[in-house]
Amino acid sequence: MHLLKLFYRVIARPLLRDPSRSALTLAAITLGVSVVIAIDLAGYAAAGSFRSSMETLTGTASLEIAAAGGVEEDTLGRLATLPLPLRFDPRVEEYVRDEKSGLAVPLIGIDLIAHAQRGMVLGEDASLQILDAPNAAWVGKDLGVEPGDSLRIVVQDRVETLHVAGVFAESDEAQGPNRSIVVDLPVAQRIARRGATIDRIEVIVPRTLAAQESAVREAIQAVLPEGVEIRDFGSNTAANRKMMGAFRWNLRILSGIALVVGAFLIYNTVSVSVVRRRAEIGVLRALGLTQARAQGLFLAEAAAFGLVGGALGGVLGLVLAEGAVDLLAATVNALYISSTPAPVSLGWGHFAVSLALGVGVSLFAALAPAREAGGIAPVEAMARGRREHDVKLAAGRNAMAGAALIAIGTAFCLLPPVDGRPLFGYLATLLLILGTALLVPGLVLLLNRATHRRIRSTLGVEAMLASRSLTGSLRRTSVLAGALATAVAMMASVGIMVGSFRETVLVWMDNQLKADLYLRAAAPGSPDSYPLMDAGIADDIEVLPEVAFVDRFRTVPFQINGLPASFGFGESRLMLTQGRMQFLPGQDRESILRKLPTGHFVIVSEPFSRKHSIEAGDALSLPLPGGALETTVLGVYNDYSSERGSVYGDRHVFGARFPKPFLTNVSITLKPGVSTEDGMRAVEQRLRGKQVLLTANRALREEAIRIFDQTFAITWALEGVAIFVAVMGMAGALVALVIDRRRELSLLRFLGASTGQVRALIYFEAGLLGLISNAVGLALGFALAFILIYVINRQSFGWTFQFHWPGWLLLGAMSLIYLATLASAWFPARTATRLNPIEVIHEE
Amino acid sequence: MAALRMVNATKRYPNSADGDSSGRPALDGFTYTFEDGELVALVGRSGCGKTTLLNLAGAMDFPSSGEVWIHGELTTGLDDAGLTRLRRTSIGFIFQSFQLLPTLSVVENVELPLLLAGASHARERAKERLDWVEMGEFASRMTHQLSGGQMQRVAIARALVHNPKLLLADEPIGNLDTTTGNVVLNLLRRAAREQGATVLMATHSAESTAIADTIIRLRDGVVEEMSHPSCTC
Repeated sequence: MHLLKLFYRVIARPLLRDPSRSALTLAAITLGVSVVIAIDLAGYAAAGSFRSSMETLTGTASLEIAAAGGVEEDTLGRLATLPLPLRFDPRVEEYVRDEKSGLAVPLIGIDLIAHAQRGMVLGEDASLQILDAPNAAWVGKDLGVEPGDSLRIVVQDRVETLHVAGVFAESDEAQGPNRSIVVDLPVAQRIARRGATIDRIEVIVPRTLAAQESAVREAIQAVLPEGVEIRDFGSNTAANRKMMGAFRWNLRILSGIALVVGAFLIYNTVSVSVVRRRAEIGVLRALGLTQARAQGLFLAEAAAFGLVGGALGGVLGLVLAEGAVDLLAATVNALYISSTPAPVSLGWGHFAVSLALGVGVSLFAALAPAREAGGIAPVEAMARGRREHDVKLAAGRNAMAGAALIAIGTAFCLLPPVDGRPLFGYLATLLLILGTALLVPGLVLLLNRATHRRIRSTLGVEAMLASRSLTGSLRRTSVLAGALATAVAMMASVGIMVGSFRETVLVWMDNQLKADLYLRAAAPGSPDSYPLMDAGIADDIEVLPEVAFVDRFRTVPFQINGLPASFGFGESRLMLTQGRMQFLPGQDRESILRKLPTGHFVIVSEPFSRKHSIEAGDALSLPLPGGALETTVLGVYNDYSSERGSVYGDRHVFGARFPKPFLTNVSITLKPGVSTEDGMRAVEQRLRGKQVLLTANRALREEAIRIFDQTFAITWALEGVAIFVAVMGMAGALVALVIDRRRELSLLRFLGASTGQVRALIYFEAGLLGLISNAVGLALGFALAFILIYVINRQSFGWTFQFHWPGWLLLGAMSLIYLATLASAWFPARTATRLNPIEVIHEE
Repeated sequence: MAALRMVNATKRYPNSADGDSSGRPALDGFTYTFEDGELVALVGRSGCGKTTLLNLAGAMDFPSSGEVWIHGELTTGLDDAGLTRLRRTSIGFIFQSFQLLPTLSVVENVELPLLLAGASHARERAKERLDWVEMGEFASRMTHQLSGGQMQRVAIARALVHNPKLLLADEPIGNLDTTTGNVVLNLLRRAAREQGATVLMATHSAESTAIADTIIRLRDGVVEEMSHPSCTC
């Protein structure tokens, strides 16, 4: 009990007397925690909890059978011969568009006579005669149609009409709105043009055989035709999730930046508490307070901030997640897989994490100042001047430690990823931030020394006093500068990274997108699904007088090493003559493209090469319909269209493996002198009635950049929060600085300073702090940008892009930050000018 | 024109509990004209009104009633800018605890009033004033490297650097030993004699009163006794 009293008197009471600064510190930690929780909750809802919308109506399967290009339906007959009590549920999946609402919805074909969940779809007592109705469909309750309605859907390149036979509610409501359409398997095969193939077969293994799963696998594999594989159920989801892992990890790390900035501010707050109460602690130590208890008091202060901040952060995180989930879902849909975000909910687990984050980070940040409090001897508690002097002396030692951390961080950049994650890259980032923070006191001193003589003559006495005050309060000003510099650095590095990426993508599109028009099926596509078009469409266009030539392209998804990838084939001769596809340095584009159509040769995208460690000259076994095909990789090309990694071959070589005459994309090059508008008009006229999307080159690029910018919108939001936390901390810390230096400020009034001069002094302090932070932050930002571009990004996503400095963007952002820093001085300056000099001087 | 003239100056502080200022005044009806070059010692027990009188004399505070004229200007008639100008040109302050800025060197502390006033040749004038207090060789040192007596000499140099007509000292030797205190008192004496500055010094010490031209003894805010020990009249 007496410890609680001591805590109240030494820690809580002074904090309560200084409510604005306490509130600011609390707000900083709250915001830091909330951002981390928000990103995790939103990420979980948008992708983490995600089971693709396609996974509606999954039973209790544990294995599945699949093949690139589909599984022949007679495989079911072979499986039926197995002397095992297994159940096989065949399935066809296709994304279609509801013509009325425009929404992309999954169309799922299952065997409605035999499927494990037939009862849920048809109703337990349904008569099977209902299946005799043509195009009968059962729809999810959120699609908004009733039994008896007609439902027009865009499937691939045409419209089909379904007849709603029933509406069902999915059992797992936590998965979000259910808009799926379920049809009987033959109906799906027909309208999705699968012919006699099915997409996959779910295998339900009874519990009695669960222990012998590997034997079951072997038995199944033995009856499967070549090219068809048995794999873990949901491995598509697992593969997508694995691929999205890097995306989510990077977001998590970015969201942690605000928390790191918050940690600086906790350090500052506890540090200020210790400095202010040195005399008090000295007296308490003299009266018998142990070293451990003195430390404990200040750790308890941090823990209290962490606990309250963590709790508030958890709740605020839930609110922020609601806002972020749509943005994240849009990115997941654009880049990874079609999915519908699940509802955001804050469970006890996440709440416990937010408390742990708040307390953990606060305690960590308070360790050093708390240790210092424990080390205070009564004789030391005499004057602040000496303490600040000690910090100055330690600046050299700190700088050495900082340089060592930076050196270690740099060395970490050379290390490979761990389990596909750039852990050493993240560590390098953290070490560079810490190292730079340790360099800051030395830099402030150096700056002061360098400007010592000139600052007064150029900026006036107020600037000189501000500069001296910064070095005089080096301990806290360097922490503040460190916090703001970290936020600025992350903003600058992400700005440079995104700017470089954007510029590289623009240049890449210039090289890659040479055709005038691009055509694809109107049904919804996503990075994991490629709606088909009738091959005759390309023939119809090719003969138009406006068209010079067309390139027919088909993409199919496949899995390799547990990761999703795509295989595409088109006219490689056109690539040679028309495109400007770029290969990695040292690879000769012309000879590669000349050789490509001459045999079982392929080229792979850079992300594919990095993810699977496949380089030019390596053999690559492609799982194609009809069995695996051994190919040789001729080269690695730059590609920024998809993170999943692509393999490309010539259609005349590989087309034979895909007997159905379908295409996924057609690019159209117009004859010289034909305008894009005329060309579009001619093609649209020829394709009237077909459900296809025709896009002009320019519009395609604009759409690509729109998706790019949308992808990084959340990143900018995270940066904004980190900056906000830092600037808010700056305001709080400046108020503390004013309160602690009220004697000096009052003295200046005695010596003839006007209120304007005192105000200017505070603004100069903020300005100098902002200047140092921006300069250090920019330098650190450049270093971090190199790590982001050449280590983290390359190891996470496999892309290389050219370093590009978005000068105007950085200048604009930094000017804004600088203005915000200056604005943060308004309240402290007001406080400073309202001090009563007589009271302050006599109180001292 | 007298450096400082106070006419029936009264100061009441509001009661901290209810803001009422009708209680006993801290200074009550003080009237005196301080002549150029006069060294005045204000004596009396703690709370007798010495510091209040100094604050009024330095235009850091205003009388509740009565008038304070500094160098011919009525303090209550001046706005913040006018008061600041007055402090920059006419008044120097010396404090018991020296009040030097720890982040500035000795010479920078001394030149500070000149810099705040935007005066020219600040550095030269500061050095001259440091030589005057025999601290010229310490000009580039930081203040924490000085002894108490040296700090107070620097504080005197700072208070005099702009040649004020009025020097206000609050217990200037309160924190010093006798020998060092005598050096400081001698400097104040010289400031009055050589610069013609009016020195108004709140003090408890006998050494201080011994050098004063005038001793004003205050009790409960009123003048209890006024004497001119060095007067030969």
